[in-house]
Amino acid sequence: MNASRLTRTVLFIYGIAMIAFLYLPLVSVGFASVSQSRYLSFPIKRYSTKWYGEALESSTVSELLLTSLSVALLVTVIALVFAFFGALAFARYQWRFRNTFQKLILLPIFFPQTVLGLALLMWFNSLGIIPTWKTAVVAHLIWITPIATLIVAIRAYSFDPALEEAARDMGAGTFTVLREITLPLLMPGIVSAGLFAFLLSWGNFPLSLFTTGADSTLPEWLYAKMVSGYSPLVPTLGIMSVVGSFLLILFAVAVVWLMRANKEARTAQD
Amino acid sequence: MDSSPFLRLRGVVKSFGTFTALDRIDLDINEGEFFTIVGPSGSGKSTLIRLLVGMDDLTDGEIRLRDKRIDDTPANLRPTCMVFQSLALFPHMTVGQNIEFPLKLRKEAPDRRKARALELLDLLRLPQSYYDKRISQCSGGEKQRVALARALAFDPEILFFDEPLSALDYRLRKTLEKELKDLHARTGKTFVYITHSLEEAMVMSDRIAIMKEGRIEQISEADEIYGAPVSRFVAEFMGEVNLFGVTTGGDGTVTSDVLTVRPGATLAKAPAGARGLLMVRPEYVRFADDGDSYDFTLSGTLHGEYALGSRIQYEIETAAGMVTVEKLREDRRAVAEGEQLTVGFNARNTHFIDEAA
Repeated sequence: MNASRLTRTVLFIYGIAMIAFLYLPLVSVGFASVSQSRYLSFPIKRYSTKWYGEALESSTVSELLLTSLSVALLVTVIALVFAFFGALAFARYQWRFRNTFQKLILLPIFFPQTVLGLALLMWFNSLGIIPTWKTAVVAHLIWITPIATLIVAIRAYSFDPALEEAARDMGAGTFTVLREITLPLLMPGIVSAGLFAFLLSWGNFPLSLFTTGADSTLPEWLYAKMVSGYSPLVPTLGIMSVVGSFLLILFAVAVVWLMRANKEARTAQD
Repeated sequence: MDSSPFLRLRGVVKSFGTFTALDRIDLDINEGEFFTIVGPSGSGKSTLIRLLVGMDDLTDGEIRLRDKRIDDTPANLRPTCMVFQSLALFPHMTVGQNIEFPLKLRKEAPDRRKARALELLDLLRLPQSYYDKRISQCSGGEKQRVALARALAFDPEILFFDEPLSALDYRLRKTLEKELKDLHARTGKTFVYITHSLEEAMVMSDRIAIMKEGRIEQISEADEIYGAPVSRFVAEFMGEVNLFGVTTGGDGTVTSDVLTVRPGATLAKAPAGARGLLMVRPEYVRFADDGDSYDFTLSGTLHGEYALGSRIQYEIETAAGMVTVEKLREDRRAVAEGEQLTVGFNARNTHFIDEAA
């Protein structure tokens, strides 16, 4: 579409303003993380990267990262399995209660997370389960599985059921259809659902707060340090967490890109 | 080959809850024939083809291929293959991979697969360079050919088609209809084709079955179904038609409230003493002022004139309703709207539809 000069100028300014609005807070935390002072204050008098060095050496930090990473990875894997079959069930098959299932599965997203966290804690207690990071995995799954399911389902909706029927008609059994047709076609949805699942779990605070017990994830620790006994590691870890997430997205994009390039090379070779 | 037909359906019923989509279908299809099932949407033709391919289960009845029951065999174990309405080409594979898919499932060696795929590209008049193309890079007609190539790679006993041309534009459809007929002749395979388009059926088929509300109305060769339909439904479904209520007497004589019958005019093939419809196609109706005499005539006012490319259609309002006359463009006749006209036709160009039957 050809926009007029005025429209283009307005769009440009709007774009810049939006980016500034979204990124300025992040940038200010970035500045704080390289301040030498122990307390957050502006303007920054002396710059230093010493808090990064300390963060990398600290055993607390590595423990936090390990806990957060374990929770997020486990949540991603389990949520993807649930999401794949759940999405197929609700986008592709006709069955009793399908409509009810479609609506009920989305409900946990709208449930306030703090209330959900507390409810789960009480439930774990009454069952005699001692909360650890593993119970947090269960809590995260309750909230993240619906989101992952929704993302895979959107992909599943856009796919022609005749593709699977055609494969079956040409002699493919159930498993072959799944491997050759369904999985490759749903892959873009599965990759984005996986990314979302990981990032939402990685950054989740309200559910973790109630359900990790004695363990602590990164967001929990950041909160604890901000309400009592501020540590100059807070902005540092904040930035490290953002950079980590960003690298993960970059990694996923690279994997998808490599898969595509590899496939093209293979077809060119044949 | 023994006397039993290639594909035989007996008493095939398919119900969805209380709705009967197919009601006791009996059908015989011969080896190597191009058989077309035509019907309006909702007539059950799509349901029928899904049963034949094995994508749905029968409620009752049986399907036999070479005298062996196949209705309990799942789709992936049946020696048949279907070209889908949406074509169902795999978007994540290249043209070559699509064509090789059935061969890959049979674990054929890659070099043999590729050789066969290239052969099929040739057969369908696609350049061999298409082997590495993505499906999204192919045009509508090319996709059709890829889908056909893939189905032929499977080497089925019967090739089914579920309206694969319906989404294409008119010109391309006409070309592909002829190519499909040609392909049928060259491969010698049994083709079973379903469509809602009479024209498509007429161009390609050896025999046509007309479906209505889950039952088969008529099975005949294309010419016969056009010239001698068994019912009003078939007559009207197979193109423009004029129908007049008549009663037959003894030895072929006929009387009608709306037609003037020339004394001595007889319907040779009509049963005696029957009430029915006299059918005449528009191309056999003439303007009666051309000097010839006609077995049947009637008068009316000209309602409209329509150009149909190579032909001209006239609509005349008469006591028997709207009568359609069709002439070649070169035989065009100057008429004025509202003009009083007499039209006529001869008994040998008519067909009697017995309404009691």
